[in-house]
Amino acid sequence: MKVNSKYSFGFIILAGLFLLFLPFVTPYKALASQMLVFAIFALGYDIAFGYTGLLSFGHAAFFGLGAYGTGLTLIHLSIPAPLAISMGVIISLLIAFPIGYLSIRRRGIYFAMVTLAFAQMIYFIAFKWRSLTGGDDGLHGVPRPPLGFIDLRSEVVLYYFILFFFLLSIVLGIRIIRSPFGKTLECLRENEDRARSIGYNPTRYKLISFVISASFAGLAGGLYTLLQNFVPLFSLGLDISGDVVLMTLIGGMGTLYGPIMGAMGLVYLKDLLSSYTNIWPLFLGLLFVVSILTFRKGVFKELKERFLKF
Amino acid sequence: MLRGGSEALTPAFVSFLGMGFMDLHFIFIQLFNGLILGSIYVLLSLGLTVIFGTLGVVNFAHGALYMLGAYTAYSIVTLLNLHFLIALLLCPVIVGIIGILLEKFLISKLYKLPHFYNLLLTFGIMFFIQDAIKIIYGPEGEPFNIPEFLGGAVNLGFMVYPKYRLCIILVTGFLASGVWLFIVKTKLGAIIRAGTDDSEIADALGIDIARIFTLVFGMGAALAGLAGVLAAPIQDVQPLMGMNFLVETFVVVIVGGMGSIGGSILAGLIIGELVTLGIIFWPPMSTTLIYVFMAVVLIIRPRGLMGRVAFFE
Repeated sequence: MKVNSKYSFGFIILAGLFLLFLPFVTPYKALASQMLVFAIFALGYDIAFGYTGLLSFGHAAFFGLGAYGTGLTLIHLSIPAPLAISMGVIISLLIAFPIGYLSIRRRGIYFAMVTLAFAQMIYFIAFKWRSLTGGDDGLHGVPRPPLGFIDLRSEVVLYYFILFFFLLSIVLGIRIIRSPFGKTLECLRENEDRARSIGYNPTRYKLISFVISASFAGLAGGLYTLLQNFVPLFSLGLDISGDVVLMTLIGGMGTLYGPIMGAMGLVYLKDLLSSYTNIWPLFLGLLFVVSILTFRKGVFKELKERFLKF
Repeated sequence: MLRGGSEALTPAFVSFLGMGFMDLHFIFIQLFNGLILGSIYVLLSLGLTVIFGTLGVVNFAHGALYMLGAYTAYSIVTLLNLHFLIALLLCPVIVGIIGILLEKFLISKLYKLPHFYNLLLTFGIMFFIQDAIKIIYGPEGEPFNIPEFLGGAVNLGFMVYPKYRLCIILVTGFLASGVWLFIVKTKLGAIIRAGTDDSEIADALGIDIARIFTLVFGMGAALAGLAGVLAAPIQDVQPLMGMNFLVETFVVVIVGGMGSIGGSILAGLIIGELVTLGIIFWPPMSTTLIYVFMAVVLIIRPRGLMGRVAFFE
């Protein structure tokens, strides 16, 4: 998060105002919440992809596991929402360990393929395990229990509830990437062999980075469940994995703020387009191709470099 | 709804478990079904592995090209009322040309960048092709009948098996040995192998490596298209058929070792058998088995059965 100090104060004020009034600007309030949920997802993904160079194609698995974990906890146990969400996060985290451990045995593009394969495995298990997950009908009837005197059933209240987690995620994210640990991750991304020769254990750092990023995905998934009152099977699907890669890429990987804006922009755009046409995947594919051919550093950075040379 | 590529191909014999005894005949049939599934895996992973080995590109659009092959066949046979053999000859050419165009105008622009950019690019292309087909042909599947002259069954002595399925095994065997002979024995094959080992040196020695890359991608695409035509009659032709198969094909190349032709053939057949035999023992989890198998291979031999160490890593 390198913001020029002269501008940073104004930037934070503007961003704060924007977030505070966002649900009153979007066509419907749940859309604002959804933008934040995917922003959390992309922010966490950036830690693995942008900062560590781990191109995971299976992050939907952790998003979906968080969603199912939270949903099942809320349905079967009557406990407050934050506890249910932490259950979702814990489940994502626990599954991320073995998957990360196995995937990290291969580097680069192999890593992408292995994570994709494991995500698909989890998708199929959820698809077949009807008695638990509801199969392709999804998990229905997830309640939104009130939190003390806070009634989460109101969409506006839920937005601010999600906003709280969003701000928490940003603080956590910044702390992580600015810590010595975060710097080590960047070092691994730039030159793994050198990092190893200085005495760092790349496997361990990569695994921790992967698990942290999966936990953010789990948090996003849990909040998504609360928002939708329902867990769709596609929350585990390849499309979601692809979406988060694109959000991070379009926003600018390795910047933290980029993926957040990328996610919010894409979710908004998807909603806008879906109300006119049903060719979103076509557009998504096109966007993928165009952004990789032209905006590899992210839309914001490229635009800044081209038009505002400061 | 999304189904595993493998699942769509293998008839469900769930009722078998209710029979209460292990029928040897049934096991034979499943062994052959595994060979069919394995054949499709081999055809798909051959293209994928040769493209990867030469260009360093993991082609996510490979499944979409497979699907394009099936839809081209559907258009030729059902919509234009032409013979199946014409489709069998034309589809690989059409899909191959599409592949060449993709390589020439999009993929080749990114060779100098880290490999994952091309992976993401082909991922986008996959979505685009898939949705374009959905818009043109509609989201539901189209039925595709087994061509009449290959209908019926053959008595093999120990069992009766559909003629068309036997043909798939034969064609795959023929093609796989053809690709292998082409790569190992011909001059062009030697150039491709040189490109695989060190494309810069090959370029410096006066080989037009850019053209070789285009050719290899076109060939891989043609193989995927051919697999699509062959699979069309035993699977419904539908927009997601390629995406379902893609991930399983990835498992095949990871298990076999990326870039290795022998590895692809071996792993393709093993995984085909694994899925179909899994149906005998525990039907709901038969697709999960292949991922467990992949996990085991990753633990014991991370580079895959016949892969090279640190190849494009």
